[in-house]
Order: sequence, then C-alpha cells, then structure tokens
Amino acid sequence: MPNAQILVNWLLIGSFYAAVALGFSLVWGIMNIVNLAHGSLLILGAYVAYFAFTALHLNPFIGIILAMLALFVVGWLIQYIAINRVIRAPLLVTFMLTFGLDLLITNLAQQFFTANNRAINSSLAGVNLTLGAIVIPVQNVLAALIAVLLTAALSLFLARTRTGNAILAVGMDRDAARLMGINIARTYALTFALGAALAGAAGAMLAMTLQFQPVDAGQYTLFAFVIVALGGLGTPWGALAGGLLFGLATTLSGSIQAIGPGLQTTVAFAVLVLVLVLRPRGVLGKAFYS
Amino acid sequence: MAAHPGTSSSSFPVTSAPAVLAHATHARAPRGLLRLCVLLPLALASLLAACGGSSGGGGTSSNTLVFGAPVSLTGSLSHEGTDTLNGYKLWAETVNAKGGIKVGNTSYQVQIKSFDDASNPTTSTQLTRQLITQDKVNFLLGPYGTTATLADETIAQQYKIPMVEGNGAAHSIFAKSNPYIFGVLSPASEYAKTMLQAALALPTPPKTVAIISANDSFSVEVANAAKAFADSNNLKVTYFQQYPANATDLTTVLTALKTSNSGGVPDMILGSGHENEAIVTMKQAKQLGINAKLYGFTVGPALPDFITTLGGDSNFVLGSSQWTPQVKYQGQDVFGTAPNFEQMYKAKYNVEPSYQAAESAATGLAFQFAIEKAGSIAPDKVRDALANLDVMTFYGELKFDASGANVTKPMATIQIQSGQVVTVFPSDIANAQLKYPTPAFGSR
Repeated sequence: MPNAQILVNWLLIGSFYAAVALGFSLVWGIMNIVNLAHGSLLILGAYVAYFAFTALHLNPFIGIILAMLALFVVGWLIQYIAINRVIRAPLLVTFMLTFGLDLLITNLAQQFFTANNRAINSSLAGVNLTLGAIVIPVQNVLAALIAVLLTAALSLFLARTRTGNAILAVGMDRDAARLMGINIARTYALTFALGAALAGAAGAMLAMTLQFQPVDAGQYTLFAFVIVALGGLGTPWGALAGGLLFGLATTLSGSIQAIGPGLQTTVAFAVLVLVLVLRPRGVLGKAFYS
Repeated sequence: MAAHPGTSSSSFPVTSAPAVLAHATHARAPRGLLRLCVLLPLALASLLAACGGSSGGGGTSSNTLVFGAPVSLTGSLSHEGTDTLNGYKLWAETVNAKGGIKVGNTSYQVQIKSFDDASNPTTSTQLTRQLITQDKVNFLLGPYGTTATLADETIAQQYKIPMVEGNGAAHSIFAKSNPYIFGVLSPASEYAKTMLQAALALPTPPKTVAIISANDSFSVEVANAAKAFADSNNLKVTYFQQYPANATDLTTVLTALKTSNSGGVPDMILGSGHENEAIVTMKQAKQLGINAKLYGFTVGPALPDFITTLGGDSNFVLGSSQWTPQVKYQGQDVFGTAPNFEQMYKAKYNVEPSYQAAESAATGLAFQFAIEKAGSIAPDKVRDALANLDVMTFYGELKFDASGANVTKPMATIQIQSGQVVTVFPSDIANAQLKYPTPAFGSR
C-alpha cells in the first residue's frame, strides 16, 4: 500500500514541477533567453494569489487566474522596457540582465513584503480522499490537473492559432519571420509575458500547496532549469516530462531505504547528468520549438 | 581632531607639503621631479594617516566603547539578523541612558558598529577582520547563525579580542578550545531535549516518536541529541531520518514516517530544522491526513509568521525557545525582567521581541558585567572576567563553562494555544499547561 501512496505523491509533485518549468521552457525555446528571473516572477505570482486570498478573500483557484493576469502585465513590461533592448546581444548579456532582474525583484519583494514565510490556508487544504491506506489531497489534485491543462493549452495555442504560429516562426528564424510581416518586438513581448504568466500560475499553486518567501526564488529557477534540461526544449510537453522525471527521481530515491530522503536532490541531479550524457536534447527535446 | 595638528610630532607632513612644491620649482628639473615624486606621496600619506587616525580613533581615545557586529541584514538570514541587531541596539541605548558602563571612575558610552554580511559567512569573516583592524572596535558581538559564528570566532582568537555571541549554538563552536568565544545561549543539545522532557512529564506521555531533521550540521546535532535522550528515557524512536536542508517537499519523509510505527502514526513528530521546513511538514501532514498526538519543532513555532502562515493548524504545536517574554528571572541588569525587556523592545520597534533579539541583548549584558567587574577595558582582562562571570539577567543566568558555552540556563518549551505563544515547560517558568493530545486537523 505505501507504494501506491508514493505513486500519488510522485504524480502530484511532478505535475507541480512541470508547472514551475513551463514558462521557463517557452522563453528559453523561443527567445533563447535563460530567464534567471523566472523564480522571482513565480514568487511574485505567489504573492498575488496570497493577497487575493487574505485581503480579497477570493478562492485560491481564482487567485491562479489573477496571478496569471498580473504576471502577464509584469512580463510584458519587463520585456518591453528591458529585454527587447538586448535581444540580439550574446547569451551572456541576457543572462546578466535577467540575473540582475532576479536580484532586483527578490530584494524589492523582501523590502515590501518582508522575509516572512507565507502560505494560503483555504478550507479545501484539509480535504482528502481516502482509499484504503492511500490519502489523496483534493486541492493538490486540482492544482496538478491545472498544470496539465496549462501544458495542453500552451501546446494547442502554439500549434493551432495564428499568434501561436507567429511565436513559433520567430523562434525558428527571426529574420525570415520579420520578412513575413511578423512584428518581432511584439511577439517577443507576448512570449515573455506568457512565460511570466505561467510562472505566476505555478507561484499561485506554490502558495496553495506549500509555502514561500522571497529568497526561495533562486531554488525555483534552478528547478526550472533542471526540469527543462531533463525534459528537453522544443515542446511544452517537454516541461511536463521533465517535471515528472524530476519528481520521480526525488520521490522514488527518497522512498528507497538504501538511499533515503537526505540524498534525493543528489539523485535528481545525477539523473540530470545521466540524461545529458545519453540524450543531450532531453527526453522530448527537438531542435526547434515547433 | 583639534588636538592633533598642535602636537610637534605631526607638524612635518602639514608644513612640508607646500615646502616641497616650492623647492621643486627652483631645483633642476630631473632631481626636483624625483624629489617631488618621492616626497609628495609621502606627505599626502602622512596627512591621510593623521586625519584617519583622529577620526577613527574613537574606540580608544574618548570615553566610548565600540562593539563591532557583522550581522545579516539582507539575504536568507535577514529576518533573524535584523532581530539580532535590534537587540544589540536596544542594549546600547538602554545602557547609555543609564549612564553607560562604569570602569573605576570613568563612564563609557556604548556604540554599536555593524555591517551587513548579506547572510554570507565569508563576508562575515571579512567584516570581522575589518572591524578589528580598520574600525578598531574594542570588543566583538556575534553574527547571526552557527556557520558565521564558527568562521568569525577564529578571527576573534587571532586578534585576541573577546567575542560574546547569542546566535550560534552548535557544539562545534565551543569545541575548538578558543578562549575568546562565549555564547550566552543554551547549546544545541538542549533544543529538542526540552520538548521531549515536557512531553514525558505529561500524565499519559507519548510512547513513540518520529524524529526528522534537515541535514545541516546544527540540525543533525540537535536530532542526534534528541534521539539519545529518547532512547535513554523509554521513548521509542520509530523513525529517524534526515532530509536536504531547505527541502520544499517532504511528502516522501512523511509517507515513510506514517508507516514506521506498527500501531499507526507515531504519537509524536519532532522536527529539527528550519522554519520553512516546519511549515511544510505541517501543511503536508494535513494534506496526507497524518494526525499525531503531539508536534514539536526546534525552529519555527516561536516565530510570529509560523502562526500567521499556518493559521489554526499551528495550534497545539510545541517549540523550543531560548527565552520567552514570560520567563520569571529577576535580573541584576539594566532590563531587570523579561516583561520589562518586552515593553522596552515593543516601544522601540513596534513588534514583540523574538528570542533572537533577547539573546542578542544578553550578549551586551555579559560584556557590561565583565567590563565593570574587570575594572578595565583591556581585552585580556575582560576575557578573564567573562570566563568567571556568574550573573542573573532578564534572559537567565549568564555563566560560561570552560569551553565558553552557557550550560546553566535552561531552554523553555512553548506551545501555540489559540494563536498565542505560551510557555509550558519547565513548570517554574511556565504560564500555561501543556494541552495534549492534539485534535485532528480541521478541529484545532
């Protein structure tokens, strides 16, 4: 019976990890920007959901939508004001820029919101389904479903809509896309804003199911990086595969007596090394984000 | 500053710089230039030294004692670091308002010189060195946390400046035979023991306990001491496990913990780690429907945001605390009692004092008593007085063993009851009864 519980734990945390990495994967794949501010955008999303719950008394799932809307605007502004100016610069420049943004956002959050730990305690948090010895927390299941839905929605949006196709086209060949009449600056702003909105959604799920404070930002950026490297760039499903693989590595290694939870991060990173050696593009990686 | 230029020894640099310039214009160019090149920097350097010496010499020349403190005001430890500095500052203000530290017939005002180490132990050591060599502080107050304290105490020893710290409790700090380090707080071995003692003092005590800990050295040390205490007191440890420090997800640990005891969930869950892990433990225990009779965490419950973050789920949780505003010591110090300290702290900072703030203020008290007893501000004399110190303060008894640790003061067990922190153990300082057993999640 504990094995079934481990399976449940894995699927729930793995889906959350997928949500953490989804926006990061989009921005990296299309814009070739390793967005080091991803974690701090995620934490901003957590604050939006937190204040929507504590100050406005809104359902945390409405908080997810609010966090996405707010972070969409923040992402658009960041791209428009800062990143568009260095978009053709070498990778190192955008690296430094997003690193600076990360420090800025994290420290501003610490200044205005304090370093206190926070979490959302909704009445749904204690609702479980019990099947024999297995306990399934309903709120986490809903959050996991939303994570999968967001992945599917992003995939459909990119494949089926004109705007989505424009984003893919810019990712494949910026200059050719421009010649076809696509507004590059606006497409980049939209892409980054979408990435930020997805980070916001993950932040809202974080506030709901776990807890957060400003300095946690770096850890979630690292998670996103590892998950995308595991799952592969090029498709939103890569983030889901990477999230599930990362979750599997931590959950399973922690549950095996001989390894134990103390080494679960070590095992997850060892799996990363293994995947990079055997399949450098990641599990589902493609050459282009298409 | 005013006294310096008048003395004969310093007249050379001040008067000679224009003279050199005047001379240079008359002499043949190469030789003059050469002399100018050699003498002008020399003259400037002595001028700078003269200025620097008089403005930075406050530590020794006037009646001010400067206490250096590297503290974490930004980064991951900024919360605790700010409390630390607040404690230091409140002590300095209070002492100064009451006439300063008396050495013989001289009264010294206290000044705190602090820098932000950005929660980085390496920066902390650089700042400690800078405080000693450039800022010429008289004495050192500790940084926040075990890691920084471990690093900084070696600098203190190197320059033979005593350091009294209140925020590093690991055994390793006191295991280095460093005569210049003193800790006012109870050492690591006491952190979990007090909660287990409180639990065992119940009429129907818990019979089984699961001990989980972060894998940093301090948390492991605390957990090992807890296991040893439980083993020797007939409290069965059904699960003993480390997880990575700052873990964001503990479902694996909690799932294994749940099935570790053949008779269901262990009676007590004891966590040795950090506040964020304590919060995650409680949140995920609720998600996984794990209802123990008692929960205890070494770090977390004493901090105000533990209650605001968890809401009703924080009720009945035990914590250990170096100090609470309810302790009943009658001190000989400038604060006198815990309620008085609490009142003064709230008046200045508008928040309840954490134990970090109280123990930081207590480090200043240790220095104050030692300096007055030594009748001297010489670092070695003060060190010797610290080693022989035995005074009662609002924080508890300050008495150091040969290693510099304070083993006399007990730790307190606190419990959150109806959203308020109360002291439940030991009984002579408690202001409430321990509530037990904990009802299931949802009815707390």
